[in-house]
Amino acid sequence: MKCTRCDKAEIIIERKHSGQRLCIECFILSIQKKVLKDIRKQKLIEKGDRVAVALSGGKDSVTVLDILNSLYERKIIDLMAITIDEGIQGYRDEAIQIAAKHAQQLGIKHRIVSFKECFNLSLDEIMASDPSRGACTYCGVLRRWIINKTAREMGATKIVTGHNLDDETQSILMNYLEGNIDNLTRIGARTFPASDNFVVKIKPLREIPEKEVGIYVLARNLEAHFAGCPYSRDSFRAEIAQIVKDLSKNHPTIMYSTLRGFDKIKIALKKEYSPGFNLKNCINCGEPSAQKLCRACLFCREIEKHIHRNKFNANY
Amino acid sequence: MQFTLINGEKKETKPLKKNLTIKKLLDEIETPLETVVVKKNGEIVIEEEIIQDEDIIEVIHIIYGG
Repeated sequence: MKCTRCDKAEIIIERKHSGQRLCIECFILSIQKKVLKDIRKQKLIEKGDRVAVALSGGKDSVTVLDILNSLYERKIIDLMAITIDEGIQGYRDEAIQIAAKHAQQLGIKHRIVSFKECFNLSLDEIMASDPSRGACTYCGVLRRWIINKTAREMGATKIVTGHNLDDETQSILMNYLEGNIDNLTRIGARTFPASDNFVVKIKPLREIPEKEVGIYVLARNLEAHFAGCPYSRDSFRAEIAQIVKDLSKNHPTIMYSTLRGFDKIKIALKKEYSPGFNLKNCINCGEPSAQKLCRACLFCREIEKHIHRNKFNANY
Repeated sequence: MQFTLINGEKKETKPLKKNLTIKKLLDEIETPLETVVVKKNGEIVIEEEIIQDEDIIEVIHIIYGG
């Protein structure tokens, strides 16, 4: 078998959805070109943007940082990174070190912010309090709160996340199956925030399958943290991910068709269901919020109650 | 005829069956192809690649649930 682009004999990928077979050099180029083309086509980044990458140290964020660095080197954008330390013992430390190394190598500004310093609670402490919601729900809300606030403090005009095609397909199916239409209207390559205090978020890897992101990192010899989060295994997302992976075996284009179909109906969805948010500031933290208390502060109060209840029960 | 299999932290020498492909090996060790990248002697290879005598096969897990 030969590379369908350059005829080289050593191929590293056979794309079942397109029939393309690529050698290492042609594969790397194809990913870089595709991501930069999507950025241009969907106007995700403009010249002069100050771009903050949500850099976990995992394969997705390391890939997007590597590709955006080409725009930084050509002085088209300014680049910086934010890493969140959720406080997950035995999992997060290695990833944070990898993230710090990448930021240092590129010579970009990098801030590491922990749940503990912002909320006085680590994710491990939250989950030990026997809370009413799943770990991913707390983690997602608290992480988004920190990333937005930190990006704003760093003067960022865009926040980049490493969401890939698998993530996006899962989100579409999860929200559809749960009947969460408000959330569905917010899925897309970029956000259109209702408040100036929300920094625009973009997903340049949205059309790259997760496996190809993994191959890219290895092909480019980029250091990345590959371990799975110990809290995510039992999540609804993990169940959906398994269903989509099983379906993809005999239907290799299923993730692309889910995304394409969704992007078409999203226009109608937004028109019909877009929630008319009247954003105000959270009475506790001052961040933008649809309610008096933002979700992060609401969750923190909930968890504090759980911790007090547990202490009370332990004493009596 | 044998080859070395590195799967995560585990490293072992295994007897080599004739025409053993990466795909067959992954089936044998019950590892879904879509969650791993495989290197043969340090180079990324596709699932149809045939394992040869003394090859070093590394299975890198890139996708976890969630």
